[in-house]
Amino acid sequence: MVKTTVVGSYPRIGDAFEEQALRRGLARLDRGEITEADLRAVERDTVKTVLKEQNEAGIDLVTDGQISWYDSQSHIAGKLASIEINGLVRYFDTNTYYRQPVVRGAVSRKGPLIVDEWKFAQGSSKALVKAVLTGPVTLASLSLDKHYGNKKALAGDLSSAIGEEVGDLVKAGASHIQIDEPILTQRPADLSLVSESLDRIRGHKAKATLTLFTFFGDVARIYQDLQDVPADILGLDLVQGAATWPVLAKHGSSKPLVLGVIDARNTKEEDPVAVATKVSQLKSAVDLKTSYLSPSNGLEFLPRDRARRKLRILHEAARVVGVAA
Amino acid sequence: MTALLTTSVGSFPKPEYLTRARTKAAKGELSSDALRDLEQKATSEWIRFQEEIGIDILVDGEQYRGDMATYFAENLGGTEISGLVRSYGNRYYKKPIVVGELRRRGPISVDWFSFAQSQTDRPVKGMITGPYTMMDWSFDEYYGSRTDACLAFAKLLHEEAVALEAAGAKYVQVDEPALSTRFDELPLLVKAVGIVTKGLRARTVLHTCYGNYNEIFDYFNKLPVDQLDLEMSNSGLDLLERFKREPLKKEIAFGVVDVHSHVIEPEALIRERIEKALTIFQPDKLFIDPDCGLKTRSVDEARDKLRNMVAATHAVRQAHGLT
Ligand SMILES: [Zn+2]
Repeated sequence: MVKTTVVGSYPRIGDAFEEQALRRGLARLDRGEITEADLRAVERDTVKTVLKEQNEAGIDLVTDGQISWYDSQSHIAGKLASIEINGLVRYFDTNTYYRQPVVRGAVSRKGPLIVDEWKFAQGSSKALVKAVLTGPVTLASLSLDKHYGNKKALAGDLSSAIGEEVGDLVKAGASHIQIDEPILTQRPADLSLVSESLDRIRGHKAKATLTLFTFFGDVARIYQDLQDVPADILGLDLVQGAATWPVLAKHGSSKPLVLGVIDARNTKEEDPVAVATKVSQLKSAVDLKTSYLSPSNGLEFLPRDRARRKLRILHEAARVVGVAA
Repeated sequence: MTALLTTSVGSFPKPEYLTRARTKAAKGELSSDALRDLEQKATSEWIRFQEEIGIDILVDGEQYRGDMATYFAENLGGTEISGLVRSYGNRYYKKPIVVGELRRRGPISVDWFSFAQSQTDRPVKGMITGPYTMMDWSFDEYYGSRTDACLAFAKLLHEEAVALEAAGAKYVQVDEPALSTRFDELPLLVKAVGIVTKGLRARTVLHTCYGNYNEIFDYFNKLPVDQLDLEMSNSGLDLLERFKREPLKKEIAFGVVDVHSHVIEPEALIRERIEKALTIFQPDKLFIDPDCGLKTRSVDEARDKLRNMVAATHAVRQAHGLT
């Protein structure tokens, strides 16, 4: 058997009226018709729905869908000392935008980043909830640095902040922590920075499982070095990063993997049997029992109804892998 | 010599009566004929306004469009429209899904072009959402290759461009906001836009915005159009220095007002921007317009920005003895 998980984000709204409470809530907050506290309640209801949909699809290790995140960068960076949030910038090659963090001074953690969100989600979920954090090197790369003048120093302080957060998450009971470093698919040379960063974070994780996830492309050129990073599990985008497949099949993996085999950026539906057949070819190279299947990246690039179908395909593919083994 | 001609990028905000009508029509409470009447009324109002303030090359204002990619996809065969997907913040849009071989069932934007052109003696631009942007902003369940999907869009959009020209368009603009999404695909974009503009006698324009211009600079002279329409005020005017060293061999439509800001740029500031542009570009190759479509501004903001833009241009023309 192989387990299933997701990468992080999930569509916040669907196309039915009752699935659009969060969109209406934000509009009403803008017009001053409801309070911030009212909006938090709407967000929490939405998180419950997202957990329920993952649960119904039979996903083993779930997330809160990052429902309260404005975007992957400002939600984390915006809570740190000496960071301001600026205007919109295109997020990698997606047609979505993030508000750019501007670093004005020495960065540090003033308080919890996502601990409360994680606690609420785990309290509302039967399945284990993974705590997902944007990686320090991606944060450093996508920010506008007006203080450090070198990425290594900025990434170092960001790593300390993220490390403290991981410590608090673990104290709150989180057993699975994921660090997202999509920047590695664009700038493979940043691998040494990511390694140093994970070294710093690892000291705070105690017995929790630490996953490094890369997406929006392949890591073929750095695959073998990636095996040496101080993380317990590696997450790989094998759709947009299909070029990683042959290297992975050839060299195998000493660590368990999250195999991102379901396309999270296209509505086209995979044949679960074909996916399972492909995954099964790895059985002598990768320990599938401790590994996971997942979408290739966060699901929020799809409409809600399509995201739901992708989860079902994912679960079915994992089931077929299990039967074959 | 014609110098410093003024124009617009494409979209204008919809008046409140039209926004309300669209909501009603979406709920089935208003007929499509009644909606079309109001879209025509709004289009006529924008044409009249552009004439009144003295814009030289007009646009129809896209009062009939929701999203620029979805509008074109809805009018092609081989497509469906997806559920809502988030762009940023609380903004969502529906994306095209390519589900079969793309076909042009008939004219897409030609009727609206003809309607707008019938309201004025000045030239109105024909507007096409570019093949690369159509591909990049669609889900593809049929072609399985970004290149194939992009080139398939390009062939159909060429037919649309030819039809616009036949209907009298003196300018055909190809909108490619997705141009700088993936630098390794710029050769594909050049090829696809070349298919769209091939053999046209109309003056061809390519609009793009909010990209990393330094990365794409080397492609500017390779783009198979007569004129580049660039957002310049928002990106700062740094790009000018580069044009000084590496001249553009095309006409340029130079964005002088920021479409994402509520602030109405004063005439003096816009004059300064135009004067800077004039230090690099010949006045007959330099067109003046806003950075991008004005549809996210209020009607009053859009009108004020356009008024100041035209006034500033006229002042600069006069100062330089240009007609
Ligand atoms: Zn634009």
